[in-house]
Amino acid sequence: MEFFIQLVINGLMLGMVYALIAIGLSLIFGVLEIVNFAHGHFYMLGATVLAALVTSAGIGFFPSLVIATVAVGVVGYLVYVVLLRHFREGEFDRGIILTIGIGMVLQNGVAYLFGSSSRMVDTSLSFVSWDVAGFFVDAQRTVAVLVGAVAIAALYAVLTFTRIGKAMRAFAQNREAAFIVGIRPAVIAGIAVAIGIALAGLAGAALAPVFAVHPAMGAPILFKVFAIIIIGGLGSLPGALVASLLIGVTESVVGGYSSVALQDAVAFMLMIVVLLAFPAGLFGKGIRV
Amino acid sequence: MSVSTPFSTSSDAGVQPRLTWPLVVLSLAGLILLPSIWPSSYVVNVLILAFIFAILATGLNLIFGYTGLLSFGQVGFFGLGAYLYALLTMDGGVSPWLSILLAGIGSGFVALLLGYPALRVSRASFVIVTLSVTLLAALLARNWVEITRGPMGIPRLPAPSIDLLGLGTFSGHDPHVFYYIALAIAVASIGAIYLLVNSPIGRVLRAINLDEPLAASQGISPKKYQIAAFAVAGILSGIAGSLHVSHLGIVDPSIFDPYYSEMLLIIVIVGGPGSFWMVVVSSLVFMAIPELLRMAPELRMVLFGMVLVLAAMLFPTGVGGYFEQRKLAMWRRSLRS
Repeated sequence: MEFFIQLVINGLMLGMVYALIAIGLSLIFGVLEIVNFAHGHFYMLGATVLAALVTSAGIGFFPSLVIATVAVGVVGYLVYVVLLRHFREGEFDRGIILTIGIGMVLQNGVAYLFGSSSRMVDTSLSFVSWDVAGFFVDAQRTVAVLVGAVAIAALYAVLTFTRIGKAMRAFAQNREAAFIVGIRPAVIAGIAVAIGIALAGLAGAALAPVFAVHPAMGAPILFKVFAIIIIGGLGSLPGALVASLLIGVTESVVGGYSSVALQDAVAFMLMIVVLLAFPAGLFGKGIRV
Repeated sequence: MSVSTPFSTSSDAGVQPRLTWPLVVLSLAGLILLPSIWPSSYVVNVLILAFIFAILATGLNLIFGYTGLLSFGQVGFFGLGAYLYALLTMDGGVSPWLSILLAGIGSGFVALLLGYPALRVSRASFVIVTLSVTLLAALLARNWVEITRGPMGIPRLPAPSIDLLGLGTFSGHDPHVFYYIALAIAVASIGAIYLLVNSPIGRVLRAINLDEPLAASQGISPKKYQIAAFAVAGILSGIAGSLHVSHLGIVDPSIFDPYYSEMLLIIVIVGGPGSFWMVVVSSLVFMAIPELLRMAPELRMVLFGMVLVLAAMLFPTGVGGYFEQRKLAMWRRSLRS
């Protein structure tokens, strides 16, 4: 039983990371109807920027976290202004091809500039673990999870209470009606893309000390998050959160009792089951693209 | 051969329809004679890879260019075909030629089974499900060690050989012999797809792509056609995969490398989705580029990424689409005068 609870705790931590990436991806999909194939590479960019700041520039972990998140968000906003802004509704395939191209440039650009070997990031929290009621809790991971939870709560507050957040939700719900009441799509979509990509950068930066940082780290986690947003329902933010935690816990438990190979496959297998049983995802409104 | 009328938007984009067949025959004759004129085995090996990519790209062109479904499963079926070939020849004792055929059929059958859940909801989930299939296949190849030998792969694969009566047997392990085997299989499979896309079935696929509800209202069941096209594209990928590893002599999980997906996508996008011959030409060009442009592989992939970004921004119908538009403009002008 104790082993099981330990696995669930680890799983919730993993799920929180998936949630940060999945919510950003879902936000961008909701506003632009673009599946961002470069999203994982922005996660990698966040980790790379943090690694450079902490190891080369000697800046502390928390200031570096803020700088990396903002930097990746700015890159995301620029990508919107230069490229994504010119897309019309229904140009679904073009959006995928474009973001794959952006991802190739990011991954191989970072590999060319920084080399493709793995790098470790040591912070003051590395190798520290806390004992909470008899359970082993890794300090660095806990910090990553807390940062993620704060970011998600902040996003929830923005979407619920601010005018710009309400405009974003209105835009995702009904485009035409949003136009009619005077919401400017370019402003809203730009902010949504910047926030979504900054969240991916934050996830990468927060986890850089936990996992090794390397240029190809973005694709595997992105593909898993794709499965998660299908399970949660495309474009649904609560769905993305719940499905992330669900997959995180399932993976951790499967990995603990079975094999690591099965752990990596579980999200994809669940996705196919969900598609057969609930085609619109667990929380989807059944958007058809 | 289909009759080309102005209304069937002929797929031989790029050149005047009258010029297409002489050009195809001429290029084919050139390719047949090339090893005699330029017997470098380096050139021969580059062209073999180009033929394999031409088969793979024609498969993606069928499912994406003609049917309008962006599939990331093609590299998954490519790898599946490769492993089927290895297992059939090494463990099953099946002959290489029959194994290539069975690898194609096996991959097509798996595509047929996956088509239904993949097409269940939307085009977005089709993209993600087909991508996941490739990832799952790679996971299986790495971890199902009893069958696939895991990351070590299966070495010493046989190659098909040609048995000419009276002249003896020519082993496919010789690149100059394998060149003709690859060329023959490429011509046969690409030719079959050419006949398919120019048949009434091909027109139905294009109708579904242009306007699915309208096609459905004409009594066409879009899903059946889409699943069938996905299966046929799977057959092509399986054949390409088995051909590739029979040439390499080894199969291992790197057959699922993202490099293949990225090259495949760039070939079809730049050639022009839905432009039959331009995609074939594009395969030859993009396999030759790395040999001509010697630079760090990362830098080359950055350039290719930029090409993909530019293509998506500026010319989403590719080179073939550009010529198609030129041709339509010429028709309009000739109708006006």
